[in-house]
Amino acid sequence: MDKIRVVHYINQFFAQIGGEEKADIPPEIRPGIVGPGAALQQGLGDEFEVVATAICGDSHFGANLEEDTAKLLDMIAEYKPQLFVAGPAFNAGRYGVACGTIAKAVEEKLGIPVVTGMYVENPGVDMFRKDLFIIATGNSAADMRKSMPVMAALAKKLAKGEEVLGPSIEGYHERGIRVNYFADIRGSERGIQMLLKKMAKQPFETEYPMPAFDRVDPAAPVTDMKHAKIAVVTSGGIVPQGNPDHIESSSATKWGLYSIEGMDHMDKKDFMTIHGGYDRAFVTEDPDLVVPLDVLRELEKEGEFGELANYFITTTGTGTSTGNAKRFGEEFVPKLLEDNITAVILTST
Amino acid sequence: MRLELGKIHIKDVQFGAETKVEAGVLYVNADEICKLVLEDERIINCRVELAHPGESCRITPVKDVLEPRVKVSGGGQIFPGALNKVGQVGSGRTHCLDGACVVTVGKIVGFQEGVIDMSGPAAEYCPFSKTQNVCVVIEPKDGLETHDYEQAGRMVGLKVADYLGQFARDLEPDEIEVYETKPLLEQIAEYPDLPKVGYLHMLQSQGLLHDTFYYGVDAKTFIPTLMYPTEIMDGAIVSGNCVAPCDKVTTYHHFHNPVIEDLYKHHGKDLNFVGVILTNENVFLADKERCSDMVAKLASYIGLDGILITEEGYGNPDTDLMMNCRKVQNAGVDVVLITDEFPGRDGKSLSLADACKEADALASCGNGNVVIHFPPMDRLIGMTDFIEMQIGGWAGCKNDDGSFDAEIQIIIASTIANGFNKLAARGY
Amino acid sequence: MGYTVVTNNVLCRDRFQGEYDVVYNEDWSYLDVLYQVRDLVQKGAILITHPMAGSLKPNQTPFRSVVIGTFTMEDKEPWEDIMLMENSIESCQKFLRGRPLPDYAENIKKDFRTLDLSFIEGAMARAFRCPGITE
Repeated sequence: MDKIRVVHYINQFFAQIGGEEKADIPPEIRPGIVGPGAALQQGLGDEFEVVATAICGDSHFGANLEEDTAKLLDMIAEYKPQLFVAGPAFNAGRYGVACGTIAKAVEEKLGIPVVTGMYVENPGVDMFRKDLFIIATGNSAADMRKSMPVMAALAKKLAKGEEVLGPSIEGYHERGIRVNYFADIRGSERGIQMLLKKMAKQPFETEYPMPAFDRVDPAAPVTDMKHAKIAVVTSGGIVPQGNPDHIESSSATKWGLYSIEGMDHMDKKDFMTIHGGYDRAFVTEDPDLVVPLDVLRELEKEGEFGELANYFITTTGTGTSTGNAKRFGEEFVPKLLEDNITAVILTST
Repeated sequence: MRLELGKIHIKDVQFGAETKVEAGVLYVNADEICKLVLEDERIINCRVELAHPGESCRITPVKDVLEPRVKVSGGGQIFPGALNKVGQVGSGRTHCLDGACVVTVGKIVGFQEGVIDMSGPAAEYCPFSKTQNVCVVIEPKDGLETHDYEQAGRMVGLKVADYLGQFARDLEPDEIEVYETKPLLEQIAEYPDLPKVGYLHMLQSQGLLHDTFYYGVDAKTFIPTLMYPTEIMDGAIVSGNCVAPCDKVTTYHHFHNPVIEDLYKHHGKDLNFVGVILTNENVFLADKERCSDMVAKLASYIGLDGILITEEGYGNPDTDLMMNCRKVQNAGVDVVLITDEFPGRDGKSLSLADACKEADALASCGNGNVVIHFPPMDRLIGMTDFIEMQIGGWAGCKNDDGSFDAEIQIIIASTIANGFNKLAARGY
Repeated sequence: MGYTVVTNNVLCRDRFQGEYDVVYNEDWSYLDVLYQVRDLVQKGAILITHPMAGSLKPNQTPFRSVVIGTFTMEDKEPWEDIMLMENSIESCQKFLRGRPLPDYAENIKKDFRTLDLSFIEGAMARAFRCPGITE
């Protein structure tokens, strides 16, 4: 019997090409096993063969999401795989997003089962958990020996069309898919048992976790717009030409503050977008689409509001962890307060 | 209040020259039932059919399911204010034909009542696939107005259940269950060391085919009130709703409210079941605010430590469920919710139309969007002409041999949101 | 200080025309009505009835009526209504993604109109009578 053909995806680091300094290498594919592929092959066993390893630098992938995905898809398809495994990416944010993006594309376009692996806090988990089986790993490559066999086990099941059991049994991040089963006791009695534990302050487990409530109550409305000082904050990745602070095109770890003093609109000579999550063509042509300076200046002249701050604050939203996003806010809000900004317009993409 | 519920076990139902119960068999005189039903001029045709567990038989469209009961002593009559005269119920002795059900069947075009299969894969999901069913198939007068037809259909169920229940009056029960809840102060004093637990029963009250009645009062017109748990066992609450077969609380389920039954099992052991709060699920938003405030007030007023909350329906009621949960929990009373889920065809969307962070304890009654196959059946009670239009069906879901695919929300009480069944959903 | 009924149900229009403002378009879908209401709520209108009144799921009934107003006895923040609209729209889209609305015959549509009217009639029977409007 022919062996089941497997393609593996890893980044520049696991391909032993280099670290951050090599993160901009373009997509390539090599026949056979590279790096952690050996552990994958071992986990899959004799019925499977890792026929090729696709590789891409994390920064390159983040900056050229669509092109790189398309290129990698073509390279992978040539090896006619029957199973695709990406990572594991552990807690590496850009690597996780890359694994998720490429795995999802392979599943959709090539119609074969895919598996990846990430640490729970990797932003790729929330981005792709509904689409993919993402094995829960530790937060660093030290966990490779433990996580690769779990990935391989699930990959085998998927390749053979066997029934996949619940997340705690198979070791994947819960995908949020609600599946029916017949419990041993009826719902009313389960509810009573849960209540007894809750009242006794003992641990209990809800059967339907509510969606996350990391919500902020809206601020009170602005009462005096005529004298309000307005600032623009965006997660749309608009930066000065050349991206002087090297804000990442996905999974951002920093934000920037740039002047718009004396400008009546966002000129494409001065600004560009580095955002890796949308088609940049229109915004490259007209950055006002994301930071609507043109309209704001008009409204300012008409006296609709008092004054526009002479700068805007920017970062990239795509793949950015909520932890980083929260930190950005904590970092720049004092500046806004200090400058007596009344209200902020947040634009996203 | 102290209620003795005498159960006469019914293991078979047959037609007979006279209606009677003998050796666990319920014999029904179909002519008498039809005569009773046809007293109402709005009904022009009535047929009685019997369905037994395990038969290759499908019943649809089902409106309501009821258990025959009779009040033997203690005052009042079954279904007070809805069928019989208004009078306090919940005490004394009540008899029921345990294992037998009255099923009302008939077309209401477009209103999508549900399906009961007596065997096959769908039977696993339906509590009434396991009961001996007396099906009353009715046909309304031409051009009968929808409100009138709903009311007429509801009365048919009540009358027939009441009629059959009369034959249990003088029988010796096979089993007697005793339920007792004392006046609040005494009840609290009886088990001073146990946590005081209540039950918030939310009643459908949104309008036509979405109504519920308490002693005959339309639930949308009342404000939250206290009820002795035993009142419900005498028919104080009657279902007047037909939509959403899967999580409709039938009148049978009001008799057999699982939260009340199970709380009584724990009563005096690890908790003190002190009473039931009734509230509604109104469309008028200010009502939601008002009623959830009152629910929270009542819960703390009677000194509850914990409460279980059940809802009926999807969408609008989810808002009430969450408002009640938030306010009651914030009043210092621990809350557990019981409800069913509609996370969409792929199971990936949010299960409820509303949410709140206080809802940290929820028992699931299953995902109503799951599709199963309904094989052909030898016998049909009612009609399947409208399967494709019924809730859970779709254009083209029905095959020539009578089989069809549909979401389990088409099955009566499959995901009933009070925890009556063992069906549940979990995250994958 | 009045009420406005936003609806695609002719029975609702006929019942409330004259008493309240009615915004009616028979070509609107269930979802279109929600979009209309959302836009009005974002401009400051207050929700009086629940946007998903009735437990018919949004892919089961063609008809939808929602009452909005300029005054309510309900103590709520404006964003609560905005959230409720967004949740309702999301839920509606979820059901429609799964299965489209059946193509009902006219007699079935009539029943659904009657139901929709019943939800709103039941609610408005309990509505605060607006000052300045005599009955």
